[in-house]
Amino acid sequence: MSIDVLAQGILNGFSAAGIYILVALGLTLVLSIMNIVQLAHGEIYMIGAYSVYYMFVSLGLNFFLALAISVLLVGGFGILLERLFFRPFRGQPDRALIISIGLILILQNVVLSIAGGVPRSYLSPFTGVLHILGLSISWERLIIVVIGLSLLVVLFLFIRTTKTGQAMLAIPQDRDGAALQGININQISAVAMFFGCALAAIAGALVAPLFSISPTMGSFALMKGIAVIILGGLGSLPGAIVGGLILGLIDGIVPVLTTLYIANLMGFATIIIILLFRPQGIWGHE
Amino acid sequence: MNKRILIWILSCGVLIVFMFFIPFLFRGPYVTHVLIFTLMNIVLASSLRLINLSGQLSLAHGGMMAIGAYTSTLLIMKLGLSSWMALLLGGFFAAVIACLVSFPFTRLRGMYFAIATLFLTAIVVLTAQQWRSLTGGPLGIYNIPRPDPVIIPGILNITFASRVDFYYLVLIIMLVSLTILYAIGRSRIGLVFRGIQQSDSLAESVGINTAGFKVLAFSIGCFFPGFMGGFYSQYMSTINPDVFGFLPTLYILIYMVVGGSEKFAGPIVGAFVLTILPEVMRPLKQFQPFFFAGVLMLVIFLMPEGIVGLPKRSKKVARMLFEKRTKHA
Amino acid sequence: MKKGQNMLEIEGLTKYFGGLAAVSGLDMSVKSGEIVGLIGPNGAGKTTVFNLITGFLRPTKGRVIFESKNITAKKPHYIAEKGMVRTFQATNIFPDLTVLENIVLACHLESKIGFWETVLHTRSSRFKEGDILRRSKTILEMVGIEAMADITAGTIAHGHKKLLGIAIALAAEPKLLLLDEPLTGMNAEEVSKTMGVINRLWQSGITVLLIEHNMRAAMSLCQRIVVLNFGKKIAEGSPEEIRENKEVIQAYLGAGEYAA
Repeated sequence: MSIDVLAQGILNGFSAAGIYILVALGLTLVLSIMNIVQLAHGEIYMIGAYSVYYMFVSLGLNFFLALAISVLLVGGFGILLERLFFRPFRGQPDRALIISIGLILILQNVVLSIAGGVPRSYLSPFTGVLHILGLSISWERLIIVVIGLSLLVVLFLFIRTTKTGQAMLAIPQDRDGAALQGININQISAVAMFFGCALAAIAGALVAPLFSISPTMGSFALMKGIAVIILGGLGSLPGAIVGGLILGLIDGIVPVLTTLYIANLMGFATIIIILLFRPQGIWGHE
Repeated sequence: MNKRILIWILSCGVLIVFMFFIPFLFRGPYVTHVLIFTLMNIVLASSLRLINLSGQLSLAHGGMMAIGAYTSTLLIMKLGLSSWMALLLGGFFAAVIACLVSFPFTRLRGMYFAIATLFLTAIVVLTAQQWRSLTGGPLGIYNIPRPDPVIIPGILNITFASRVDFYYLVLIIMLVSLTILYAIGRSRIGLVFRGIQQSDSLAESVGINTAGFKVLAFSIGCFFPGFMGGFYSQYMSTINPDVFGFLPTLYILIYMVVGGSEKFAGPIVGAFVLTILPEVMRPLKQFQPFFFAGVLMLVIFLMPEGIVGLPKRSKKVARMLFEKRTKHA
Repeated sequence: MKKGQNMLEIEGLTKYFGGLAAVSGLDMSVKSGEIVGLIGPNGAGKTTVFNLITGFLRPTKGRVIFESKNITAKKPHYIAEKGMVRTFQATNIFPDLTVLENIVLACHLESKIGFWETVLHTRSSRFKEGDILRRSKTILEMVGIEAMADITAGTIAHGHKKLLGIAIALAAEPKLLLLDEPLTGMNAEEVSKTMGVINRLWQSGITVLLIEHNMRAAMSLCQRIVVLNFGKKIAEGSPEEIRENKEVIQAYLGAGEYAA
């Protein structure tokens, strides 16, 4: 097993990490920070992928245009979901959990009926390979990392600088206090949902050229997302990044050494170990 | 003795006797098959409720069925154990696995616990798909033998050659399982579970080892799907990784929620209605997921206590309507 | 433990949340047979102290010694079993069980039914269930809510819920009873009734550590008062001493809630 193959594995790991981080960030925003029990997040990711597929492949739009429109559509869809299904059950996580499970069923099967179950794929809009330091990096994977990083920066700027962003962080610390200070939870929930779903949609769209898309691809994303969050710490954005990196690298490097299955197993084992010894996650509080 | 309780016991008795006669009233392989699945689902949904009593939502049932199915099948086919032994061991093995993973998992709150159990199901299914030498991979295992014959010379000679034999087997399994589950629910352990569900920290403060009891609830609850997985494999004589997993797990959850997770009868009613109904509406089978999801939403929005909560709820609604009328009178 | 000996010793108890010290270097003790009050303005860290010493939170630094045993960072159920039982300010009852069931459940420890005996439902456990029922009714009488034994706990009045909370803690047979604001939200009549209950419990031999916002009640019930502000102990002494203490007055005035 040569250095090239290992290096390729590491690079694959980074691009996998990019995807996991995108999904986990959105999930953290919605799930742990705003406490919206949106388990159908994976389905949002899936819808994002299909939306971009439809626009890019069937309608022939420019990739970035398709991406932009899809983000807006999916984000808006997320706001609608929040309004209809989650706002009535704010403060009742058990019921919201079951509602979201119902949503998973509905969304998966709607897409299944419209698009059929056959996995589809599209050629990456970024073809070609970059040769650097004797390694070959596909542009596709590089773009994922770049887009992922830029989105991270944007997200952090938003959280740190805008009032809405600050409010989002304040809410999990002290719900009643936040409400008293005039923070409008309805508004913030909608914004959080928009961003969370947008991130998921982008992740889905970016991943499509690498693997194929199918109506059930969402469960994979959800589980990876939750794994990242548990690992990195609930409610923690930096934790989502660290967790995503770790799991992404595991999924990139381990298959080079053994098999993909072992990689999944290791990811699972990592979660168990973290839960046993540091249940609040790497970056979490108690 | 309380009259109400007496009536309840008598009705249950009549119902049970009736169930023994059902194969004479409803004949045919298809009908028997549906009945068998109904009784299976009743056990699955009721055991899910036990876990739910302690405040944990489990999405591990699919994985546990797989564990039980593959374990018991391999014990029979590779080690030549009796089918009854294999069924029990399949159930116990599932319970052991549940026990082991629940130690790290009990620290997780509500939704995270649910997803962690979903993880477990996913890993189990993945293992079944990948470990070809053990599980036959994606194709699964064929020609699983029927349960060992039950022979009492002169009285019984059951060879499980016909479906009806399986019906009676699952009927007995169901009766025994429901009795166990009911007893646990009404015992002090059940009280402790409900206390933990209502206030985890309060229970801790009076000396209850909440983590330990949650592990107990989850482990016992996972025995039953393990056992039923074994039964399934001996009934269908073939298993593969697609049979268990995400969708069946969700369906079992839906049976419990729609029937009503609070009362003991809830999952029974839910499993019964939601197994029979789709069969009655056979031509519309492709809409089943939508139907299930729709019913689920309806229940959560309008009657969260489930079907068994309907009598109380309709009394409430009727009272409200009646009051409005008399006010205007 | 003999009266007069240190039942609870807290040494250097500290808790940081992120960069903020909620409790800082707290040293205090409670002797067997005492009734001690823990007071301080809102946010002083009183409930955090309770959480720290009963195992609901892990201290950043410091030790907690109960009856000469180090119980720092042990699990709450273990500490309750050792004899230190707390009540909660909020959600202090099992709302969907009846009042009597609340106590029967809380007698979990008391019956000395072990984890495994409960599981196996031995004959001895069944006999104990009869005893538990009797004892539960007695506890309800002690606290004065025996009349609502069969009512769903979530539906009773707030004042009665607080009494039930105390009864639940009693069921766990505490040697040291930690009461977290037992009088909050009560009207004058309920306050005096509850104060009577607390006093009776103390007289019957239970050591009490009490957090209370109602100054008059705390001063009247307790032999000794410890005052916290911003997570630090700022004063300790008899109620008379504390009433005169300039720092204490300043702390409350500063927080705008001085009420003698």
